[in-house]
Amino acid sequence: MSKSLLIISRQPPWAGPSAREALDIALAGGAFDLPLAMLFLDDGVFQLAPAQQPSALQQKDLGANLQALPLFGVESLYASARSLQERGLDQQTLTLAVEVLDDAALIALIDRYDQVITL
Amino acid sequence: MKFAIALFAPPHAPSSRRALRFAQAALAGGHEIVRLFFYQDAVHNASSNVVSAQDELDIPGEWRDLVRQQQLDGVVCIAAALRRGILNEQEAQRYERRTGNLDAPWELSGLGQLHEAAQTVDRLVCFGGP
Amino acid sequence: MATLHVLSHSPFSDSRLSSCLRLLGPADGLLLCGDAVYALQPGTAQRQALDLMPAAIGLFALDEDLCARALAAPPRVQVVDYPGFVELSCRFDKVNSWL
Repeated sequence: MSKSLLIISRQPPWAGPSAREALDIALAGGAFDLPLAMLFLDDGVFQLAPAQQPSALQQKDLGANLQALPLFGVESLYASARSLQERGLDQQTLTLAVEVLDDAALIALIDRYDQVITL
Repeated sequence: MKFAIALFAPPHAPSSRRALRFAQAALAGGHEIVRLFFYQDAVHNASSNVVSAQDELDIPGEWRDLVRQQQLDGVVCIAAALRRGILNEQEAQRYERRTGNLDAPWELSGLGQLHEAAQTVDRLVCFGGP
Repeated sequence: MATLHVLSHSPFSDSRLSSCLRLLGPADGLLLCGDAVYALQPGTAQRQALDLMPAAIGLFALDEDLCARALAAPPRVQVVDYPGFVELSCRFDKVNSWL
């Protein structure tokens, strides 16, 4: 039986390659059909903010790659309710279909996974 | 126990030295290291071109020695490496760069190697940041 | 499953400690290394937050980082060396480093 992996993405979208490189770990695992989940925490929730224009920074559209997660079989996607609320983000306007969890539910989520990478 | 160690920080970051000391302690304790995987800025730990002052630690050199002496599988993520200018001879030729700067014992490969290691081991331990 | 969380950033300039403290499970452990050992600095809110963690949560610090910074570990903190760090990674079910 495969070991499950939770990837916690904490970096904002345009702070260098970090957000993209976290996503790449998830997409690579999805391509191998591994049981994976992704959690957007702290500034990572900014990756899900609406109406972003990466072309203004001559960056590739991270959002488009995030949309690929379900296509790669990574359907367990979560965001921290606290992180969203702290940053004034409305759950209803996020660009990715994520389950929004409070801290107690996040503790249970982390506990469920065999391995975690937080970057 | 079987370990996979993933490093995300460059050689001058304290976490690189910490990962190295952890790896040494794990081996000394009789554990197995299935793979070292270098991602993000950690790819610089595999560079052949890092020049350390005589009175400073040579972290890339220590990693290289550890991998050779213990015959470890030392994998560097190719996408992260290319983006940061770490290329072996093959990639240097492919991209028409003057020379490569990554040599044996390091292998360039994909994130699949990180996942494969994670599936195989008892513990995946990541190091990065300060 | 019990998780060993590992922090290495200074808690005064970084939010990882406060985020981590909110996500600790009842049987989890927290290992402070690198600049994260500054969280043990007496007379700080960060130190107080650690003191207030439930007793069941194991609190650990890497010896070399305490020594380098001339920090003393309070009684509740178990100071470990690298073999101790390896042992912790085996004792807990998984390791979550806040990179």
